[in-house]
Amino acid sequence: AMACRKVCQMVQRRLASSAAAERLSAAELRSWRSALFSKEQNRQRSLYPRIEKIEVAMQGPGLQGTRLVMNKGVSTPHSCAKHLTEWHVSSAALALVDGELWHLHRPLTRSCILRLLTFKDVDPQLVNQAFWRSCASLLGQVLDDAFKEEYSVELLNVLEVPVSAGAFCCDLVLDPRLDSWSPSEENLRSLTRDAQQLIHKDLPWEPLEVAPPVALEIFSHSRCKQEEVEEIAAHSPNGVVSLYRCGQHVMLSGGPLVARTGLCCQYEVTALHAVGEGQWGLQRRAQGLSLPVNLTVMRNSVLSNSRCHNLCFVLFSLKEFCFMQYVDQDCLLDQNCVSVSMC
Amino acid sequence: KCSTVHIMSPFVQCVRTIKTSTWWDEHLSEDNVSFMRKTVMEEYKQLTTDKLNPLKDEPWPRHEWEENSRRVGLVAVKLGMMPVWTKTGEKHVVTMLQVQDCHVIKYLSKDENDGRSAALIVGAKNVSPFYRSEESMDIFRNAGLPPKQKLTTFNVTNNAIIKPGTPLYAAHFRPGQVVDVTAKTIGKGFQGVMKRWGFSGQPASHGQTKTHRRPGALGPGGDPAKVFKGKKMPGKMGNIYNTAFGLKVWRVNTKYNVLYVNGSVPGHRNCLVKVRDTILPRLLKKNNDPPFPTFFAEGGEELPEDLYAEDMFQPGDSMTF
Repeated sequence: AMACRKVCQMVQRRLASSAAAERLSAAELRSWRSALFSKEQNRQRSLYPRIEKIEVAMQGPGLQGTRLVMNKGVSTPHSCAKHLTEWHVSSAALALVDGELWHLHRPLTRSCILRLLTFKDVDPQLVNQAFWRSCASLLGQVLDDAFKEEYSVELLNVLEVPVSAGAFCCDLVLDPRLDSWSPSEENLRSLTRDAQQLIHKDLPWEPLEVAPPVALEIFSHSRCKQEEVEEIAAHSPNGVVSLYRCGQHVMLSGGPLVARTGLCCQYEVTALHAVGEGQWGLQRRAQGLSLPVNLTVMRNSVLSNSRCHNLCFVLFSLKEFCFMQYVDQDCLLDQNCVSVSMC
Repeated sequence: KCSTVHIMSPFVQCVRTIKTSTWWDEHLSEDNVSFMRKTVMEEYKQLTTDKLNPLKDEPWPRHEWEENSRRVGLVAVKLGMMPVWTKTGEKHVVTMLQVQDCHVIKYLSKDENDGRSAALIVGAKNVSPFYRSEESMDIFRNAGLPPKQKLTTFNVTNNAIIKPGTPLYAAHFRPGQVVDVTAKTIGKGFQGVMKRWGFSGQPASHGQTKTHRRPGALGPGGDPAKVFKGKKMPGKMGNIYNTAFGLKVWRVNTKYNVLYVNGSVPGHRNCLVKVRDTILPRLLKKNNDPPFPTFFAEGGEELPEDLYAEDMFQPGDSMTF
């Protein structure tokens, strides 16, 4: 009996210690993931020890016939834009390389035809979608950072919401102790303030294409993220998983994001409500609204929250064109409608 | 045969079935029982309070109103004036002040402010960020608010401080309270002594040579042999901050955030005014037990759209003669 008790004590102690080692604090986890990301980034950069030149043909208004000689594996569409003018650098949000969507900070690997996409193009569909996706991942980053250390936050897959739906959203699962908590206006205001501070820092989103094992290692503390990685790897054409890093936060994304956080303006977190029981716990959906920096609504207007239970429409009127989006009570995304006040 | 042990024991053994039925404090001494009771209660209370604020920046504590506590005021827009009647048939005039986008921007502690009392900076009426410099945008960015047209400081007591970013509404004041309103008066430009100081001037006829609106004598004469400092003379009139004291609040509209305040208020239409509780000692008792530190919209209490003072005649009332 004494030996049995001793064995049980040792087993318990070992179990407890291994559990504690796995449970890193949120800040340590973030820096650990960021360190792994940097390591992988350096490794990929070191794959090109000698500088080889590639020729990039620019396409766009006023750029016919421009050919730039850039470095393979080092130059990005952002550096191509820097060779042109400052306006190109500040307005470029996404790039099209040989017809394929390319993040602005992703290195070019072969001679190609490059087109820089801005928000004021004739057909901004792709850019708008990428902008919506980046706003959603920014929202995820803000939520990840906003809760106290003792509550666990799990960000789920970012939903692909079309721009015409009226809001971008981010799904997350909170600590089970917070199941009956719902955010107050003040909580939403503080989330908005955090997001606006991130936007003001103007951090770039750094892309990285990694093999699934590396991604699995980066997200080794979160079972939910690992499943997402496996799913993305199964669906992608060449089995590569694309990761993005903003500041210290590493995230997965279903598509390309815009160049930097400073391109978002008038960012507001509008609602956070429960959707239902999911695989990992009570699933919550956070919604937000934002506009690109050079397409803000006229002059002094401000995105403000208003409690409106009926049909409420959000009017965006831009210099070139006007589109109306309405968000109503039946829409599964929305509970707090957002109205634009012109003053 | 594996010995069965109660789950509460510290040994992890293979528990097939719970054969012994016992209660949690059977094997604990009396002191331990009371200790356990106390700690469990405290832990649950801690959990519930933490549940209320799981975000890193917690809401600031709200205190109760006491005598000698000063609370924040508001910044409002002067809309215009209209008549109001009491139940006994007397007519008064009121000014309408609308509270548009009033938020608390910053908190200054006692030491930062002036060593006497803490202060809260309040702003009103959003303006465009594109015409403001980067330094002025700093405080707005810290509070997470769009830039405001007017910023004012209110000296408050320590139990009335509010977290920056909170919106302030007209329901902060209730009908029956008394307020002071400060605003910049309408600028009249360079004015003569009759308009500026109310001198009576000189007669229009009976031999006056070129002297109808002049100040006349400037002082005593040979003994001081000087003009005293502060002599009322012509100069720029208006466009200075002036306060109207002791104005009663007749009506508060919560839907459009409008305050109906007795009498007239300095400033032109659509100018921004600073509204605060009275400092007149005789009228302080009218401001007992106000919404303290302010009226919070998410507090859950639903106010009717219009709040009227008791002696005000409401449209739809019947009058008996």
